[in-house]
Amino acid sequence: MLYENLAKLSALPGVSGCEEPVRYEILKMIEGHCIYKVDALGNILAFKKGKQAPAHPLLFSAHMDEVGLIITWVEESGLLKFTTVGGIDRRVLPGKSVRIGETFGVIGSKAVHMKSADERDKAPEPDALFIDIGAKDRDDAFTRVALGDRAVFTSQYTAFGDGFLRGRALDDRVGCALLVELIGSELAYDTHFAFTVQEETGTTGARTAAYQTGAEIAVAVETTTACDIPGTPPEKVVCSLKKGPVLSFMDKGTVYDMDLYRRALAAAKAGGIACQPKEGVYGGNEARSVQVAGRGARVLAVSVPCRYLHTPSCVVNRFDVDETLRLLSALAADFGG
Amino acid sequence: MTTTEQILTLAGALGVSGGEDGAVEAAQQMLAPLGACERAPLGSLLCRIKPVPASGEHVMLTAHIDSVGMIVTYIDDGGFLRVSNVGGIDRALLLAAQVVVHTAKGELPGVVCTVPPHLNSDDTHLPKIEDISIDVGLSAEEARERIAPGDRVTFCCEARELMNGRISTRAADDRAGCAAVILAAEKLAGRELSCGLSVALTTLEEVGGQGAATAANILSPTHAVAVDVSFGHTPDCPRAKCGEMGGGPMVGVAPVIDNGMSSRLREVAVRENIPFQVEVMGGSTGTDVDGIAVSGAGVRCALVSIPQRYMHTPVEVVHVSDVEAAAELIAAYVADAFGGVR
Repeated sequence: MLYENLAKLSALPGVSGCEEPVRYEILKMIEGHCIYKVDALGNILAFKKGKQAPAHPLLFSAHMDEVGLIITWVEESGLLKFTTVGGIDRRVLPGKSVRIGETFGVIGSKAVHMKSADERDKAPEPDALFIDIGAKDRDDAFTRVALGDRAVFTSQYTAFGDGFLRGRALDDRVGCALLVELIGSELAYDTHFAFTVQEETGTTGARTAAYQTGAEIAVAVETTTACDIPGTPPEKVVCSLKKGPVLSFMDKGTVYDMDLYRRALAAAKAGGIACQPKEGVYGGNEARSVQVAGRGARVLAVSVPCRYLHTPSCVVNRFDVDETLRLLSALAADFGG
Repeated sequence: MTTTEQILTLAGALGVSGGEDGAVEAAQQMLAPLGACERAPLGSLLCRIKPVPASGEHVMLTAHIDSVGMIVTYIDDGGFLRVSNVGGIDRALLLAAQVVVHTAKGELPGVVCTVPPHLNSDDTHLPKIEDISIDVGLSAEEARERIAPGDRVTFCCEARELMNGRISTRAADDRAGCAAVILAAEKLAGRELSCGLSVALTTLEEVGGQGAATAANILSPTHAVAVDVSFGHTPDCPRAKCGEMGGGPMVGVAPVIDNGMSSRLREVAVRENIPFQVEVMGGSTGTDVDGIAVSGAGVRCALVSIPQRYMHTPVEVVHVSDVEAAAELIAAYVADAFGGVR
């Protein structure tokens, strides 16, 4: 089911603040396997009974939202202006097709023939770009879209190469699909799960989710940036695909709990599970919010290495996803004691 | 088949310059009922619809069937590919693009590598095409087994109908033109004409126009009407260099274009109430016309352009009504200038 679920979740639009389609699908996936509620911000808080109560309340979280675009203005010409929601590299925008609800559009800019040598060298300013849905004028556009509507890239979810998967929003639908698997499995300890909103715009959802669960030990299940591509010096690769889940000791948002980090390394070793440290202090995730919610929680991040994060073409490998699931199962047993 | 289906069928077929077989096959199915088809030595598809009469007058309708793309140049020890551009590719399109590698044994999906922001403090500079890599998820051994230098690479594209009869697809440049030529030929096939009539869907336009120049040498027409795409206006482009989307085909005026043909096209459009626009160029046209006009002893040429937004991208947009009006105009022009018995 893991990969069927991932394919389903990756296809759904869920730009920060508009996670409904993803939430609805996840609720269907976990129905009957746990008790759950949807909170004021839209987080799913799920609780699954295990064989016994843990020594410290335990939480696994993954975020439902994804980076995307938001419509900010409609020109007289019927072209839509937009801004990015979450961190999108401006260099990946031109020439992509997008979906705004049921309406399709394309991100255009002037033809290369009309660009000066200098313009050809540079990524266009996001402000110079627009989405063309084929509208004749402003009123015509408003028959299909409203200001504030979110747009996602229409990229295809595809298996390719040797176990690789390519798709939009694998950050963090991979984490969501892994949590769904854990919820469907037998657990040693009672465990909280949070599918959170608005991670990409400030790790907002995780803060209130963690507060409500009262977790003392929390694991953020994420994707993290892998730069194992040509031309990268080894010390900048950070992590590589096909080397297993990535364990963080520190990133730009969080200094992780050293004991949890070491126990996770030991659990991987004991279980013969591939894993790798995140070799560099880069990025951040919702652990930063979980850590400071309520009385505070000891946190760890377990991530599936992902190339081309925050683009229409995230790439993960099934080996890493499988090994991450094994490690998370081991941690669910280890961290409860 | 509707015009939209026809354009999307042609545009969906593979035809990166020098590898046009897929697109030619799709076009040949549409042209075969109209006349004998043959491939020129450089691959252009020639269809002779009406024999050339004793007067020697012979009209060639033409559009180019190739499209821009990329070509594999090298496979590195990590299994990543290096590529070069085939025709003018905007470097702004490359990073994180989903692509397809067209190998002898089938298609392989891939992604253009992009260095994540943590390693890239400068998000304005675009890499040169020879500096990008394509990730096909294969080891070097497997990649070298399945992919060969010279294989063509295209951007993934989900062709779409947008609002108001506009469609978005890769290779609308110039499969929309091919569709217009085929539609015009269909309209003319059953009519009495005093001239010979042929269609040439030409190869290699995006890399220099070699297909059209040689197709014209083979057919030796006296007149040629070429259909290509031109710039559809968006607010970031100079208005004077662009046509209006949905405003009808653009009739070209330029030194290399025959004034008589150009004027007559406009007269016919007015008389037949076919919407049109005028596109003025100062010298050559940047289309197959430049090569056709000087083929053999010279050919009188007209250029009819379909306004298109986002040229040379995977999301080129054309207005179906402009393609249909181009076909209607060309058919009306030929019937007007060369109608009647032989």
